[in-house]
Amino acid sequence: MSEVLAVDAADLTKIYGNVTALGGISVQVAEGEVYGILGPNGAGKTTFLRMLFGLIRPDSGTLQVFGRSWESHGIGVLEGVAGFIESPKFYPGLTGRKNLELLAGLDGGTTPTRIDEVLDTVDLTERQRRKVGGYSFGMRQRLGVAASLLRDPRLLVLDEPANGLDPAGIRDMRALVKRLAASGLTVLLSSHDMGEVEHICDDVTIMRTGSVVYHGSIAALREQAPAQAHRIATTDDDAAEKLARARDLDVTRTEEGLAVRGTQDRIDSLVADIVGAGIAMRGLSLDETPLEALFFMLTEPATHTAALDGATPATSGAHQ
Amino acid sequence: MNASTLTAPDAPQTAPEALRPARRPGTATVLRWEITKLAAQARSRYTLLGCVLGPIAIVLIFNGQQTTPSDTIYGRQIHTSGYAMPLFLLAFASQWIFPVLASLVAGDIFANEDQHGTWKTILTRSVSRSQIFWAKTVTAIMFTIAEIVVLAATTIVASMLLIGTQPLSGLSGQPLASAHALQLVIASWATALPPLIGFTTLAILLSVVTRNPSAGVAAPVVLGLVMGLLGTIGGFDLTRRFLLTTPLDSWHGLLTEPPFYGPLTFGLGVSAAWTVVCLGFAFFSLRRRDITGG
Repeated sequence: MSEVLAVDAADLTKIYGNVTALGGISVQVAEGEVYGILGPNGAGKTTFLRMLFGLIRPDSGTLQVFGRSWESHGIGVLEGVAGFIESPKFYPGLTGRKNLELLAGLDGGTTPTRIDEVLDTVDLTERQRRKVGGYSFGMRQRLGVAASLLRDPRLLVLDEPANGLDPAGIRDMRALVKRLAASGLTVLLSSHDMGEVEHICDDVTIMRTGSVVYHGSIAALREQAPAQAHRIATTDDDAAEKLARARDLDVTRTEEGLAVRGTQDRIDSLVADIVGAGIAMRGLSLDETPLEALFFMLTEPATHTAALDGATPATSGAHQ
Repeated sequence: MNASTLTAPDAPQTAPEALRPARRPGTATVLRWEITKLAAQARSRYTLLGCVLGPIAIVLIFNGQQTTPSDTIYGRQIHTSGYAMPLFLLAFASQWIFPVLASLVAGDIFANEDQHGTWKTILTRSVSRSQIFWAKTVTAIMFTIAEIVVLAATTIVASMLLIGTQPLSGLSGQPLASAHALQLVIASWATALPPLIGFTTLAILLSVVTRNPSAGVAAPVVLGLVMGLLGTIGGFDLTRRFLLTTPLDSWHGLLTEPPFYGPLTFGLGVSAAWTVVCLGFAFFSLRRRDITGG
């Protein structure tokens, strides 16, 4: 692995009027890493990625990609970098293949065989002669991946790649990203879905309203995650709540019943108590995974204060 | 995405060690890219087709009429000389057809990327904003020139074939032999090119600034009409000289005896100034812009 960081951003700031899109964030991504940028909508993920691609310029701070900066290297910064921001866009009046040919022209050209390869990779071979205007959202997403692969990147930047995909598409997109990462590619993945990031990425930066609230490994994050929450619905929620409180479980009433936070064995015991007390169970489901719970604590502290009492969000990590 | 098919990259081509040497395309490559994109648009093909068929239809219609538009420059001679019709149409086209032709592609060529959200697609490849800017600008100017050349050639040829190659009377009443008249007609049409390049760059500026194809196409036409109106109102003599529509009339000086070239040379300067100013603003606007849409 190279000592030069794939991405080295320091104190990046971007302010639009009264809105601070980025408030001095720092992100370091090592070469070969699969790195997640996580945050709710409006957190500043896309602003950061646009900055990386030179689409917008920071008000202050520095940004280097493989040791190159926009100030010194201009468009040369993007050598070995590919990806897409938000949903990939193409010329709707042209076919998928023609779009790829045109985009390849902007990279100095490619061979028809290579275009065949990337179309095959994303399963668009049969639809390559159709105009992009008639493509589904998922097909355009796949064409975006194909257009990125045409550049033979060392760093692949994917902004919400699973957005708008059906469950099978999400599963396949994750598999694709994993395979790309396994081939030695550095992957920078932005998402608002903790589940998507935790299964793919080694390290993660979690953002909220333009600031970094966590920066470190997924493993370290997992250690700090609170107990998982379950939704429990019974024929007598009042009695069930009392049983939960008697076991010192963190319990909250919801419209659907109870939200109970605790380890799996304590939840199992509670369920046994409820049934033993002659109360019928109407539903038991996992509300959110521990990492999801921690993610919401970090990004929506106002609505997750109760949960925050039980866990300490981290703000340091491997790359801070 | 279908599970069965997102097989992929065992493919070594995505690995760093398989990275191709960096290939940075030159501006000529980007120009070819833009021209390919333009050629794929039905609108550009239909516009050029209109430049061929339109003049033929107009010549046929006017040639078949009993009366002539005698209150218009060279309107009185359109039945007596095949060289009068191209000059008559030149004067007519200057009023609003030329601004329309100049802005059809130029007003859309940048804003189209905003409309489709494709700025982020093309600016994340290996070409700079400057390269994209100049490729689009040259393409738009080339298209305007192509339109005018096709329009002029069709008009002149159709008029010569349908009406004839009779001598023409100059604006001072002097007779102009057929060959000389043809030269002056071609030269007169050529004088429209500099102001039309100015209109093209005005459309480019509006396309960049408004980010709206409709505004990019329509606004130069409206501005052209306003300039034309200002040119006819008294009391704006100084202003009139600097309007982009004024050089469109400079060909009149070629057809007088003796000819006068003052408006032509001044018009060249005015057109050049509009071109430089519009391109300058457009260039810096695009260079400094944050691409946040799409």
